Amino acid sequence: MAVSGFEGFEKRLELRFTGADPNGPGLRRLGQFEINRILEAAQCTIVSGLGNRFFDSYVLSESSLFIYPSKIIIKTCGTTHLLQSLSLFLHHAKKLGHYISSCTYTRGNFIFPESQPFPHTNFKEEVSFLENDLPPRLSERKSSVLRSKTSHSWHVYTSRDPNMLETGAQNEVYTMEVCMTDLDRSSARRFFRHENYLSGDEAGREMTERSGIGSIRANSVICDFAFDPCGYSMNGLLGSSYSTIHVTPENGYSYASFECVGLGLGQGQEMEEVAAVLARVARVFGPGTLSVALRAPQGAEWSIGEAATVLEPMGMALRGARAVDVPGGGNVVFQAFERRREL
Amino acid sequence: MEQVGVIIPCHTKEEFDQQLQKAIESKKLVVIDFTATWCGPCRIMLPLLEDWAKEFPHVLFLKVDVDELKSVTSDWDVEAMPTFILVKEGNILERIVGVRKQELRQKIEEHHSTSAA
Repeated sequence: MAVSGFEGFEKRLELRFTGADPNGPGLRRLGQFEINRILEAAQCTIVSGLGNRFFDSYVLSESSLFIYPSKIIIKTCGTTHLLQSLSLFLHHAKKLGHYISSCTYTRGNFIFPESQPFPHTNFKEEVSFLENDLPPRLSERKSSVLRSKTSHSWHVYTSRDPNMLETGAQNEVYTMEVCMTDLDRSSARRFFRHENYLSGDEAGREMTERSGIGSIRANSVICDFAFDPCGYSMNGLLGSSYSTIHVTPENGYSYASFECVGLGLGQGQEMEEVAAVLARVARVFGPGTLSVALRAPQGAEWSIGEAATVLEPMGMALRGARAVDVPGGGNVVFQAFERRREL
Repeated sequence: MEQVGVIIPCHTKEEFDQQLQKAIESKKLVVIDFTATWCGPCRIMLPLLEDWAKEFPHVLFLKVDVDELKSVTSDWDVEAMPTFILVKEGNILERIVGVRKQELRQKIEEHHSTSAA
């Protein structure tokens, strides 16, 4: 492994709000100036963006930002200062009449933990930073570290205000976060730029097509970008649901992530869709190690082993599975897999 | 009355059709910006487009608000914003979805120059 390199593993913050005009644009009214200031605190910038009737999405210099009328999701990789954005989001949301009702912070395990800035140096510091910035009324709090027999582990912090009812629909969605390391070499090579005359926009589109990413969730409207000399990010919009992919292809610390919010929304076939999507993702990247965290709503919790039925026939072996309940209902199931050594 | 150097907002389908028809006759490149007031990414593009409208006076920049011109939006299959459609002599040359500053700029330069008489 390289002594030091780019940190692919993201930190992810999901903030939900209550407040005025549930059917209006809500938090989408956040101005460009405010958004840029918030991102500056996290130490990243906007490189691209795309919106639809339901939400706005941005590709960042380090990962992605999604703004719904009453929900914000931001994930950043590298050595960004993600949690520095929290108090600014809360401040600007409040100015628009929106008050936080729940907060979820998740991340995998850093490849280069010693390179992380405070408070990302360890999970305990992150949790105490979060608790300091969140209002005390978010009193239902829980933090967990889910480990596996691989190098992958999963950190989850959730807190919510038990007295605030969130708008129904946004609670009904599944969230899948997949982290992959040790990518198949020939898959990873597709995320290096070869044609220098292409813009980052065009090179990104070519990578989407060549890699097979374009068919992971067909019918998505995709906003993609290729970094120089390598690396790739995309946001895919499908109604109120999104998927997002980020790739750091360098050998020694190659990493790719896939996240999808709102899988199988309202179709009653969530299990089938999650399985099919997961299989396509694994096929695109051919990872040596893959971990998947599924957050499911109350009454539709996942059982351990769900992902195994898809990944085992592809030569991956289950190396650990854990589940935790989250405040407010529902659970998070974490499963890690390793490529079986060929005999 | 010819408006040059500015983005022309089309508030009715008739206005929109009229502008396109005029551009067919003059063989001008048209850049249609499908936008929405509530779309954050659209706000990023606006100042750039204003500059480009000045810089490329022979290109016609039209703005369509997707809430105002619903039928035009669905006729042109626009489902995400901003969407930019480049049209010349009635033919769609490019369809650029999202904030893709570099690509949009390159395409305007490319198709604008081929039309220079």
